[in-house]
Amino acid sequence: MPTKTYLQAINEALRQEMERDPDVFIMGEDVGPFGGCFGVTKGLYEQFGEKRVKDTPITESAIIGAATGAAAAGLRPVCEIMFVDFIGVALDQLFNQAAKMRYMFGGKAKIPMVLRTPQGAGIGAAAQHSQSLEAWFAHVPGLKVAMPATPYDAKGLLITAIRDDNPVVFLEHKLLYGLEGDVPDEPYTVPFGKAQVHREGTDVTIVATAKMLHTSLEAADVLAKDGMSAEVIDPRTLVPFDTDTIVESVKKTHGLVVVHEAVKHAGFGAEIAAQVAELAFDYLDGPIVRVAAPFTPVPFSPPLEQAYIPGVDDVVTAVKKIRA
Amino acid sequence: MPKMTMVQALNLALRQEMEQDDRVVVLGEDVGRDGGVFRVTDGLIDRFGEDRVLDTPLAESAIAGMSIGMAVHGLRPVCEIQFSGFSYLNFHQIECHASRLRWRSRGRFTVPMVLRTPYGGGVRALEHHSESREAFYAHMPGLKMVIPSGPRNARALLVSAIRDPDPVIFFEPKAVYRAFREEVPEKEETLPIGRSELVREGRHVTLITYGAMVRPTLEAAAQLSEKDGIEAEVIDLLTLAPLDDTLFTASARKTGRVVVVHEAPRSYGPGAEIVARLVEKAFYHLEAPVRRPTGYDLIFPLFSREQAYLPNAARIARAVKETLAVEA
Repeated sequence: MPTKTYLQAINEALRQEMERDPDVFIMGEDVGPFGGCFGVTKGLYEQFGEKRVKDTPITESAIIGAATGAAAAGLRPVCEIMFVDFIGVALDQLFNQAAKMRYMFGGKAKIPMVLRTPQGAGIGAAAQHSQSLEAWFAHVPGLKVAMPATPYDAKGLLITAIRDDNPVVFLEHKLLYGLEGDVPDEPYTVPFGKAQVHREGTDVTIVATAKMLHTSLEAADVLAKDGMSAEVIDPRTLVPFDTDTIVESVKKTHGLVVVHEAVKHAGFGAEIAAQVAELAFDYLDGPIVRVAAPFTPVPFSPPLEQAYIPGVDDVVTAVKKIRA
Repeated sequence: MPKMTMVQALNLALRQEMEQDDRVVVLGEDVGRDGGVFRVTDGLIDRFGEDRVLDTPLAESAIAGMSIGMAVHGLRPVCEIQFSGFSYLNFHQIECHASRLRWRSRGRFTVPMVLRTPYGGGVRALEHHSESREAFYAHMPGLKMVIPSGPRNARALLVSAIRDPDPVIFFEPKAVYRAFREEVPEKEETLPIGRSELVREGRHVTLITYGAMVRPTLEAAAQLSEKDGIEAEVIDLLTLAPLDDTLFTASARKTGRVVVVHEAPRSYGPGAEIVARLVEKAFYHLEAPVRRPTGYDLIFPLFSREQAYLPNAARIARAVKETLAVEA
């Protein structure tokens, strides 16, 4: 299978879906001739022209508002918000319009739009360019939320998102853009609501998304050297959420650690812990531990930023804590 | 002691704080001449004039942004967003500026502002006039997130919020605004932000809730005691961030069984954080899974379905019985 980066996989998904369906178009800040702030939309403007790859003014609210309108009128927009941190200025369009229109019109309006946006820390971009805000989107009924961790999932989940008739928030981790992996050349889909077990194990279940999946897999290697066998699961989408795979895993391992890069307080790890504590209560033989960022903005100082992002040691320590 | 509704108690807090501190200003849509859409700011413009009670355009982002500027420059703004569902328009101002100016300026600037906004259902208004999205603000580092449940604690907490050196998001349960009266002392009273309150003692189960759900939860507790001999302990959180987990964790250690009630949608809601803390900090004391009777994962319905959406005493009591039915 050909090897591609996470960024190339996303670019290929966009290109192939635009070739397949003339209703698919792209809009966002600098997505045109410039190819996107991170280069995700590179080459699409040249191939599809300015009618289907639209550079917008710097106004997130208008981007999402226009995408919602275009989707309601029958197109399939894929809009880019340059950093998830800028979404604050557009939340009304997303939460009160895009997420609700299908419901408000009794199913007569469909909003087949995708909002792509990079999140995550680790490039010294400080408090307004480094956050992980998935918990907000996941708490809004009417939105689907995808968080790919691998190049394969990035392409397959994005194609699923574009073909979905509902608004999808597609969260890319900016530190994964350069990650390489096997990605088929032909188009394919990865279903929403289906977690992937990346490593099987018997002693503890670790649930992690995006970049934290890789941190957790490294931690599992370290734990293996200490004779502990960790099962590592990536839910891939937060809405819909594959509770069953995680609950089944916990029934086998009897322990759960949830790892995410967003701040711990009121983060999505809380929902997973709550669901598992409800559905697999009798199988747990110790507390559920969450490894996540502290409740502060993302620091600019590189040493502080590294201390802020959960690392391999943090995951290992958490597992050892519940297995002590 | 005079008996007041929550609206009157909040008005008292604003009036007294404006009297004793001329840095306190009120701004928002219709808060002046009209006295606020729910009348919380009634009479303030007559007493303090247009310089301190500002009617703004319909521009939530500007209301929040202006408040941040005022706060940085030494005033103590209390702004009103007419319904919390409109506050997505000011999210960016609160998230990217209010919540982190202190941090970003290494403590040189603080943002002593309060954003007041009514939230929640129960008044037959649809969608963003009724929803409960406190989880968004509770997940934002740098903010305090307060939700009172009755007239007396609303007044005392609002005074504390106004005096706080940092931004406070103050969600007012609009279903409680005129639902009942309580004695509220004329004399100044404050309550610490970040402390929850035990509102009913019990030994069989712990019910954790806040805001408008405190009343149906207490109602359920009273019914359970009367009809089934079940004694429920009820905790009113009052503040969601910083979250006081000492009291509810101690209670869970005592009763071993917990039910968390809120009207926000269940998934990724505030209840999840509470359960996560419980299974981390009181795991070995829990005898049954923690139930969450909450709003459903749906857009807030039109009024004919509203009562089916909101948790009520019957649903809470049912969750309690399910929890108690689990063998330890």
